[in-house]
Amino acid sequence: MTLSPNQRRRFTVFAMLLPTFLILVGFYLYPTLYNLELSFTDMTLLKLRKGGDFVGFENYADFLSSSSLFDIAINTVFWLTAISVACRIFLGLLFALLLNSRFLKNMRLTTIARLILLVPWATPPVVAVIAWRWLFDPTHGPINSWLLKTGLISDPIAFTADLTTVWPSIITIIVWNTTPLIGVSLLAALQTIPEDLNEAAAIDGANRWQQFRFITLPYLMPTISVLTLMSIIWTFNNFVYVWLTTGAGPGTYTNVLATEVYIKAFIDLRIGYSAAIGVTMAVAMAVFGALYFRYFGLNEMQDKVG
Amino acid sequence: MNRRFGTGLMVSAVALLMGMSNAWADATISLRFNDSERKEMRAALDEFEAANPGIKVELQTIAWKDSRDQFLREAAVGQGPDVVHIAFVWTQEMAEAGAVLPLDELTQYGEFANGFDDFIATDLTMYDGKAYGVPWTADTWAVVYRTDVLEEAGIEALPKSWTDLRKVSETIKEKTGKTGFAFAAANQMWFPVNYYIWSNGGNFIESDGEGGFQVGVTEDQVANAMNYFKGYIDDGLAPRSILSIDQPHDPALLQALLEGNQAIAMMPTNTYRQLLSAYEETYSGEPVPFTSGILMEGTEGPKTHLGGRTLVVNSNTEYPEESWKLLQYLASAPLFEKYYTNQFPAQKSLLDQIEYRKEETGFSTQLANNTRTWGAYAESGVGVGPLWNLTSRSFGTALSGQTPPEDAAEELIAEINRMLEK
Repeated sequence: MTLSPNQRRRFTVFAMLLPTFLILVGFYLYPTLYNLELSFTDMTLLKLRKGGDFVGFENYADFLSSSSLFDIAINTVFWLTAISVACRIFLGLLFALLLNSRFLKNMRLTTIARLILLVPWATPPVVAVIAWRWLFDPTHGPINSWLLKTGLISDPIAFTADLTTVWPSIITIIVWNTTPLIGVSLLAALQTIPEDLNEAAAIDGANRWQQFRFITLPYLMPTISVLTLMSIIWTFNNFVYVWLTTGAGPGTYTNVLATEVYIKAFIDLRIGYSAAIGVTMAVAMAVFGALYFRYFGLNEMQDKVG
Repeated sequence: MNRRFGTGLMVSAVALLMGMSNAWADATISLRFNDSERKEMRAALDEFEAANPGIKVELQTIAWKDSRDQFLREAAVGQGPDVVHIAFVWTQEMAEAGAVLPLDELTQYGEFANGFDDFIATDLTMYDGKAYGVPWTADTWAVVYRTDVLEEAGIEALPKSWTDLRKVSETIKEKTGKTGFAFAAANQMWFPVNYYIWSNGGNFIESDGEGGFQVGVTEDQVANAMNYFKGYIDDGLAPRSILSIDQPHDPALLQALLEGNQAIAMMPTNTYRQLLSAYEETYSGEPVPFTSGILMEGTEGPKTHLGGRTLVVNSNTEYPEESWKLLQYLASAPLFEKYYTNQFPAQKSLLDQIEYRKEETGFSTQLANNTRTWGAYAESGVGVGPLWNLTSRSFGTALSGQTPPEDAAEELIAEINRMLEK
């Protein structure tokens, strides 16, 4: 049997895509479907050998009607995601503008400033959390020592144990560790803006703010849009920062969806229930992603830039 | 020449085969041991290997807080270390999960010198009428005092009741500015909370007398316990940072005791022994300013849990005989005399031989006269682990001010009831 040139081309494409397809099925599709299956069972860590029994939507109903859901949702959406992403985007933009500024160029500090900015990003999150926990330590931490020495406080602050300071502390760690990525990405986008646009605007009498508002920002919006979406998805699902900083405490004050998944699966041993939370999180993010692109779509942004 | 070459080849082949057969005879087994005495345990294993030339032992360590889940996951997929160091209260769970071998499959390889009845708390190893683990070490909690700080505050007698403890803490704060009683208020809050509840006539779960189980504590009792411990934080008697401290051996707590900035703490035996060693190392030659006493009494006498560690053999092991041999060695007297000296053995015959330091009398009295097992917590099917986590989280919400104690107590009781129903 001989293949026509068209069939041969299709076969080649299929053969080249097959390994990637198999990897995707093996590492993404299968675990996803298995997780979905688990979410409909009463599987626990003690039943891993025997297997769980089918319980329908019981895990979903339990989770969605649990008294802690509202607090966990607020913690995840507002504190962990909204506040930290907003801080990161804002600070990242400031860093990018600073690194792209004539001031740093004139001072010949551009390279060193970029390197300094990259240090937090190059620090693994676990190391970052451990370092910051030490900085925040009420007994031996330098922040408390400095505040006490300067007389700004009279008693040490338990940054990660006090309800008023625990979320700002977690957000500080996340922002410190992840803002450089935003800054560097926005810096790259800034450098693609044609210089003559700003020059023409200046000749037309536009001041610095107007140039930023009507030229720089619209050019950056597609990048900001993608970075925001990525940051939101990444932060919404993030487990490391909260768990390592506070263990979801004090009490359950900083419990978020990702830590709830861990607590239910590996502390309360309820794998099925935990899987249901994971599926709920995935659905929430999928819906969010779809809506985000509907209202802040990339194409629209690019149209605005022209 | 050829003949000589042929003979040489044959000799080499035989030698190689003999070597290979020796290699086949060797068994490499693994022990997962989670305490901090890793160096001492390695020395003990070297001694075991020297006495058993066919057995090599690989020493593994994992953080205690991850060890239960990790082993359950490994065992479910046919993996995991051969001999595993677990908590007393996990044994029944491990048996239920099919992760460990019943002892009746192992005793064919040899019995313990004084029999299985010589071990304490064997009831915690029973599942479905069979024993699944060997109690290895026994411990409980007691109260540790920094005597020089008590002296500085003019306190002559150790507190006896929870009310006394609070008064003594107030006096210490007032007279010295130091912390009196402070505790790990996160995960291991579970222990002081139970001691408080038990000494006041409550039980989170108890038998209902008809073969079932029920909640044995009222919302008021739980709220009182929450308010009692919360008072130390709210009134500045203990630093707020204890809310994020999980374990009594947290460096922040131990350092405060070592430096004399804190006078009173509750802790298990091995933590106390580590504290004493650390003090002697840091302040070599100076008298040790620590003593220990039994727990506080409430409306009833003081009570703590009889805790400890069990050794189990993984049901996936390829070397049950070698694993059993190792387990028997680990439970022998020389190990506790030479290597694992921070722990009390879980055998009556060995416990009787222990010579306690004068600083440890609180622990020995507590262990001998004032302990109980988790009993109905484990027997009810709820399990100590889930109840522990639920209670610690609930107390965390109350102590931090996240939820009013009365509401947290109501939610906790409701959740325990739900667990009992399931």
